[in-house]
Amino acid sequence: MTKRISIFCLLIFAAHGYGCRNAVSPVTVETNVRVMTDDLGRTIRIPVKVERAISLAPNLTEIVFAVSAGDKLVGVTSFCNYPLEAKSIQKVSDTLTPNIENIIALRPQVVFVSTASQLESFMQTLNEQNIAVFVTAPDGIEGIYKSIQDVGSILGQSTNAEEVLTGLKKRVSFVENQTAGTERPKVFVQIDKNALYTIGKESFITDIVHRSGGVSATADVGTAYPKLSKETALALRPDVIILSESEGNREPNDVFKNSPAVGNRKVFSIDADLLSRPGPRIVDALEQIAKDLHPEKFK
Amino acid sequence: MNAAVKNFRVNTRASALRNGGILVLLLLFALLVAALLGSEKLSFFDLSEEQRAILFDIRMPRILLGAAVGASLAVAGAGLQSLLRNPLAEPYLLGVSNGAALGTMLAFIFFEQFEFSRPVMAFGGASLATFAVYQMAKSRTGMNVERLVLSGVIVTTFLSSIIVLVTSLLDATKLRSFTFWLLGDLSQATLNGFYISLIVGIIGTVVMSSQAKALNLMMIGERDAGDFGVEVKRVRLLVFGASSAMVGTAVAASGSVGYVGLIVPHLIRLAFGSDNRLVVPFSAIAGAIFVVLADTVARVAISPRELPVGAITALIGAPLFIYLLRRN
Repeated sequence: MTKRISIFCLLIFAAHGYGCRNAVSPVTVETNVRVMTDDLGRTIRIPVKVERAISLAPNLTEIVFAVSAGDKLVGVTSFCNYPLEAKSIQKVSDTLTPNIENIIALRPQVVFVSTASQLESFMQTLNEQNIAVFVTAPDGIEGIYKSIQDVGSILGQSTNAEEVLTGLKKRVSFVENQTAGTERPKVFVQIDKNALYTIGKESFITDIVHRSGGVSATADVGTAYPKLSKETALALRPDVIILSESEGNREPNDVFKNSPAVGNRKVFSIDADLLSRPGPRIVDALEQIAKDLHPEKFK
Repeated sequence: MNAAVKNFRVNTRASALRNGGILVLLLLFALLVAALLGSEKLSFFDLSEEQRAILFDIRMPRILLGAAVGASLAVAGAGLQSLLRNPLAEPYLLGVSNGAALGTMLAFIFFEQFEFSRPVMAFGGASLATFAVYQMAKSRTGMNVERLVLSGVIVTTFLSSIIVLVTSLLDATKLRSFTFWLLGDLSQATLNGFYISLIVGIIGTVVMSSQAKALNLMMIGERDAGDFGVEVKRVRLLVFGASSAMVGTAVAASGSVGYVGLIVPHLIRLAFGSDNRLVVPFSAIAGAIFVVLADTVARVAISPRELPVGAITALIGAPLFIYLLRRN
């Protein structure tokens, strides 16, 4: 159930049309507050020592735990199912509507948000309550690295964050080296079978597919998660189909029945929680896709 | 309704046939245009196997379903408007489409394997919604425009909130295909869906046409129609039944495509007068033209992405609705 929900989170990221890539610039203005820039380019004043934080997205919850700051999380969403400890933290949000009263009652110093649409609904209220809101909007692996760095820095775990990043980068460059120079198959990522949602230009998954040694067949299609015309989908003739695994998405749409992917049995499923969350586990997804695309390189 | 009576024109058989012929030609033209356009360019004189699949497996079923859906919705609207003596009666605005949508969703949740359960339960939902609106709108003094529209608003919003409730309880992946479908979407067209819509559409149009004479009399008033020997209750049952069946199958196949049942019969009445013997069959043809063209826009406007066709019909229909409301 929660797995399926995470795909919904994936769609939520479609709101990220305007992820900015400003570098983090911690500047000390007052002794106990620093100024940071989030992925929307907003300047935010954040307490130097954060002890209480809330995460409003499963990927951010995973990042917080990855940098060993899980003990500072006082609130998460009902989709936050990883790691196991996250499940025992108080839930303050379900789909797109965070419970603002719950959030304020938990007295967080920082709220981590990963969708701009969520932001508008409660930004002002949280500002009035003196609660900082930090937004992440990664558009590829580098953006995910930055999220990890930012979250680590905010929660006073920069060293841990660097350690995590070193590990992740090593794994990514291993994959990139293995797949370098190989022929890049044309990959179609199917998010929903009936309503033919896929990944577009602005999705971070497009970057993941490319780094796995493939080419997204829909890399030029506008927006992050477009609903594609079936005619176009048929004409794409992908070499590989990757299914973001969920109940309504266990097989390719009928339009692919004569595609090379189906003909050569190159249809793979991947845990939607891995694929749809721009957090540390995206590298698991990247490794799995790379192995699916180039099995001969990972024996 | 007075406008409708005033606008009653006697058409000679010859002119009716000529006008019908023109509409059929227009429909064929619309179907041709729709077949020529799409997110993929096809070289029609030398179709590759793949292009043949695009044309016959994807584009054609969708165009044909759009025609059947458009015809069904327009005929349902034409019938309801005459029966209720209300120019603003429309399946979407009366909440009938929402009733059908809720029925379809429940069928999808409880009997997912049985595709046929969807039109059946949509028919059930449409019938219940029709009955509810009718009961709320009628009063001792008869049924005025405002009362019916208000009842429709109440039923529509009530059913919308139940739909929201159901989608909130539904798991997220199912919800995703529903949100698009709810707006009216033909992209999941299949030939089977088309056959069901076609059969119900034809039967519904025949039933509605068979009541056309009685509906003409009922436009004057139910009591007067009774004096002329019209079995009012029987007519009402047949018209409600036919419109619910047509709306039900249309919604089950393509969600709530709004405003078709409103603007198509109106344009037909403006052009050819309000004799239901013509309005009903002509609305069927014009409804098909309207939805086929609207869906062509939905398919190509932002290709290779897609819009829901309901967004296009509402974009055209809503301003026209306001215009008609002011005119009355």
